[in-house]
Amino acid sequence: MIGVRKYVWLLVTVACFACNKEQKVREIPVNDFFKTQDKAIYRLSPNGKYLSYLTIIDKNQYLIVEDLEHGTQTKISKLEERNISFYYWVSNQEILYYKEKEGSRFQTDLYIVNKDGTDERLLNADAKSKIRLLEDQLIDDKFLLVTSNKRDSTIFDVYRLNVRDGKMTIAAKNPGNFTNWLTDSKGKLRMAISTDGVNESVWYRENENKPFQKIITNNFKTTLQPVAFAEQDPNTFYAISNVNRDKNALVEIDCTNGKEKSVLFSNDTLNVVEAQYSKRRGKMDFVIYETWKKEKHYLDEESKKLYHKLEKLIPEAESRIIHQDKNEQLFIIRTFTGRSPGAYYLYYAKNNSLKKLSDINSSIKEEEMCEMKPISYITADGFKINGYLTLPLGVKPKNLPVVVMPHNGPGQRNVWGFNADVQFLANRGYAVLQVNYRGSTGYGKEFYAAGFKEWGLKIQQDVDAGVKWLIDQKIADPQRVAIYGNGFGGLIAINNAIANSKMYKCAAANTGILNLFSYLKAIPPFLTSKLQMYYEVVGNPDKDAEYMRQASPVFHAGKVKIPLFITQNPKDPRINGNDAVQFVKELKKLGKPVTYLEKEDSRSVLNREEARKKSYAALELFLLENLNKR
Amino acid sequence: MAIPSVKESGYRKNFSLIATFIGLISVLFILSLFLAFTFSKKKIEGDFISAKTNVLEESIKPYNDFFLNKLPEISYYNGYLDSGTAAKFVDTILLKYPFVKRVVFFDAQIRNERYEENGLNVGSFSAGMKSVYQFGPYVSSDSVKIFGPNSVINNTTLENFNELALKLYTFIHKLDTTKMPTQEDLFSNFSNIKPNRIDYFNIPRFEDLKVYRQMITKKLPSEPVYQQDMLSFELDPSKIKIRNNRPLLYQSVRIEPVTYDPLETSSEYETGEITLGGPFSAYKLYFISSKSFIKKEILSYFFPIAALILIFYALLLLVAFLIYRNLNINHKMFKLQYDFLTNLTHEFKTPVSVIKIAGNNIKSATSITPREQKLYGKILDEEADKLNGLMNKLLAFTQIENKAIKLNEDRINIKEFIESTIDVHQLKYPDFKLSYEISNLTHFITDPVLLGSLFDNLVENAYKYSPPDRKQLHITARLIKDKIVLRFKDAGIGIPPSEINNIFRKFYRVQNQYNQAGSVGLGLAFCKELVNFMKGEITVHSIVNKGTEFKIVLPYIN
Repeated sequence: MIGVRKYVWLLVTVACFACNKEQKVREIPVNDFFKTQDKAIYRLSPNGKYLSYLTIIDKNQYLIVEDLEHGTQTKISKLEERNISFYYWVSNQEILYYKEKEGSRFQTDLYIVNKDGTDERLLNADAKSKIRLLEDQLIDDKFLLVTSNKRDSTIFDVYRLNVRDGKMTIAAKNPGNFTNWLTDSKGKLRMAISTDGVNESVWYRENENKPFQKIITNNFKTTLQPVAFAEQDPNTFYAISNVNRDKNALVEIDCTNGKEKSVLFSNDTLNVVEAQYSKRRGKMDFVIYETWKKEKHYLDEESKKLYHKLEKLIPEAESRIIHQDKNEQLFIIRTFTGRSPGAYYLYYAKNNSLKKLSDINSSIKEEEMCEMKPISYITADGFKINGYLTLPLGVKPKNLPVVVMPHNGPGQRNVWGFNADVQFLANRGYAVLQVNYRGSTGYGKEFYAAGFKEWGLKIQQDVDAGVKWLIDQKIADPQRVAIYGNGFGGLIAINNAIANSKMYKCAAANTGILNLFSYLKAIPPFLTSKLQMYYEVVGNPDKDAEYMRQASPVFHAGKVKIPLFITQNPKDPRINGNDAVQFVKELKKLGKPVTYLEKEDSRSVLNREEARKKSYAALELFLLENLNKR
Repeated sequence: MAIPSVKESGYRKNFSLIATFIGLISVLFILSLFLAFTFSKKKIEGDFISAKTNVLEESIKPYNDFFLNKLPEISYYNGYLDSGTAAKFVDTILLKYPFVKRVVFFDAQIRNERYEENGLNVGSFSAGMKSVYQFGPYVSSDSVKIFGPNSVINNTTLENFNELALKLYTFIHKLDTTKMPTQEDLFSNFSNIKPNRIDYFNIPRFEDLKVYRQMITKKLPSEPVYQQDMLSFELDPSKIKIRNNRPLLYQSVRIEPVTYDPLETSSEYETGEITLGGPFSAYKLYFISSKSFIKKEILSYFFPIAALILIFYALLLLVAFLIYRNLNINHKMFKLQYDFLTNLTHEFKTPVSVIKIAGNNIKSATSITPREQKLYGKILDEEADKLNGLMNKLLAFTQIENKAIKLNEDRINIKEFIESTIDVHQLKYPDFKLSYEISNLTHFITDPVLLGSLFDNLVENAYKYSPPDRKQLHITARLIKDKIVLRFKDAGIGIPPSEINNIFRKFYRVQNQYNQAGSVGLGLAFCKELVNFMKGEITVHSIVNKGTEFKIVLPYIN
């Protein structure tokens, strides 16, 4: 009898071993998830004859221009230590690009160069100001519209930049609170957006000789985002708007009085996030609304045909048009799925064929990645919270260790697609829960406003409710739940750890906001026009000091009960580095378990990879130590 | 029989050695007591000096906590403190740290525009106060605001502000904008530690400090106004709670000014002092204890050590005594064995010499008459039997003692058994009066040979140690509960009480006229071994010149 039982045990053990072996998932190195693209920022010249992209050869960045007809390649520039952050074809002959300045975060220098790499000229090199391209078309073959804060660091004016001699003449003076400008199809500056911090206004002028007239004013909670001027109807523009409705719709607005003329697309449950206008056809192509993922609603038959052809060529993945030539014959396509970062393709409309350009990250194998599934649950106070759940491969979805990842904010959301952070954690065997807590964008006005000044209050409860839901589904092991976030996600992580130490085993904040006072104090000068808005979303230090104190982890070191993991870049100008240091010091003095890591903000790719490896390895170890001990 | 002297036996009695040993450890004992006392005294006197820092550390802990953890919290507000938030913040401080007497909150600003009366202006850099509030248990609610619009006229000096503002200015003036200052650097430059007061400015971000630096040299076009909060904490050293963690060492610990040095401190007191640091540097902790108080502490430290030494000493004495006792017993054992050997030799000698004489007589006789032959034959036979008996007894005893034999289990009839024993001895000694009595018992299981030996020995003994006119023995056998009780009661010479405990020992013989011949002192020891072997007990009850009664209790197995 005993002999038989022994035999059975042996069989069971062998069977278990066998199935374990079968389900063994390869542990993918950290840096494989975050590899920088070999080739990036593909662009087509306006005439569609040239393809350009940025690439890194021997640690140096190059801008390459490829002649599509002859297949010849030209290295336009070699940039040591300084990277091109963005570039444009301003004509069939010339390319304009920004080079990042060493040691500064917001400032860049503007250069123009011929497509064969000759005659590189510095157009702007003001150490104190920022310059941004408004319109990438050359006007009169020599002028570009740019915005710059060279007159006053807090205000962006519009300039006409002569690309031949670099001279800038003012095109429109900003009265102080204009934050955005819009040109018509001929490159004429005819619309502007202003804000007083709380209210946003749309200004219009019929032509460049007339002054701007304010036509619409809305509270910042309301979206009214001009898309383009209607070609056929001179006094009409298209806009994504949720004026008088909860969800964004695409509407036509009368320029003269700001009244809505007609609705092109609207749905009570669907929120429009993007709208595509075709300059060539002078028509709206489609709108993109976002539910758990982005979907298109076509407004134009030609564009619908084009995309349907593309979908037939790439049936398995989502595809987006990144760039196109002026005649819309050549397209640069990017694909992606929840399990794959995707690839770049060149699409020839003429013969409906695709040519693969490069993978976004060739180290990622789709079959090794985990599926990102939409989920939703209802909170105690009746809000429907949407989110995503990514389960690790090779294990039953039962009693798993969980990492909850509240997203950064304010005014952001989790989106469906390849997420390296999530895939990294899932590969290490954790179920990853992302929730779009109240205050996240994309779920309507009401949902967005519900999150105002609720950091550390209802937002926190939304995240906790998600964990509870996951425990009720028997997917989460209630003894092994961690919370981890970046920025405001880090704030939520630590606040939840303090308020609900029974639910979470440990909490991690990657460059997290630890102090709301410091966050407001650190808002850069060019965003001061939006300060009142921040006061409403985050908190007003003059009126809500008590709430902000409650919602800032830095004040509550004494209440921490579970292990914390904190990283920060002490040189980050957007934070007060003392906060984290003092917080960690206090935790250590109180004998609380805390892991603190200083992240170097390095320009060099190699150092950056090294630093990332170090911080993710530390995070991995932290989670392993705290979640795998039962 | 000669008793051999101790010296001849080769054994030495080491009384002198033991005495020396005890003497030496006694000296050691006294010496260690003395050393322990001196050590305790030195230790406590040393503690009086060194434990002061400990008391200081414990007492100043709340202050350190306040200074290192609570002060930096002001910076968390990044200049956003207003009177309401400040009041709440101060309340927690006043509650938790009783040594904070009063807090003055300066709601201040840094700007390019000059402050006429209420601030510090250097070049285009101006630091000035918007309004000033005071908080504290002795501040009445109508005099909270002491500067700014609608403030109460107050004579409180606002000089503290200018002092720290100047320090701030000096720091910013020298600031290297390419390198981030260390936290320690910032902390020391944004705080001011004065006697009984700490001023603290919130520490702005490095980015803001860079702007401050620019504001010194030029007026910025954006006309920036930066909020700075300064809190000035007035401290009362007398409210520091002293934590005397050595109450048995320090009779009293007080906070006194540094200059405090009383003349009247007599030689009856031991005193010490240690200066309080930081804002309390004008004060010290003053420790005082009377000499007798310290003596008590010395003794309380000394006594456990003394007790340990004493226990150790007692253990040593005990070991010495045990060694002495063992030596003594060994010596007695040796003497007994020596006696046994002498007796045995003697016992063997008699029959051997008789046999030798008989042999010589036969050898030297020319002719032997039938009467002589019968006589010698009888003598030789008897003496050989004697020798054989002696040897058997010795052998049996050794076997029993070493447990070399096995217990046979036979069912015996007790009546038949006793009667046969009596018959044998009646035959041997016709003058022996033997009687018996049995109740409740007919059969039981035991080893008949061993039981026979036991009976023989006891019967023989009874005969041997009885005067000729009282040679009698009464044997009783009873079953009481589950035990067989056998009694052998004679009317013999008895055993003196002093010998009672020894009669069952090997080779021991009571000195009297009866055991001169044919006895080696094994009989009773042998009996005891037999009874033990049969899992029983043997006891004796005796009155001198009246008689002896042996009682044997055996387990009843049927």
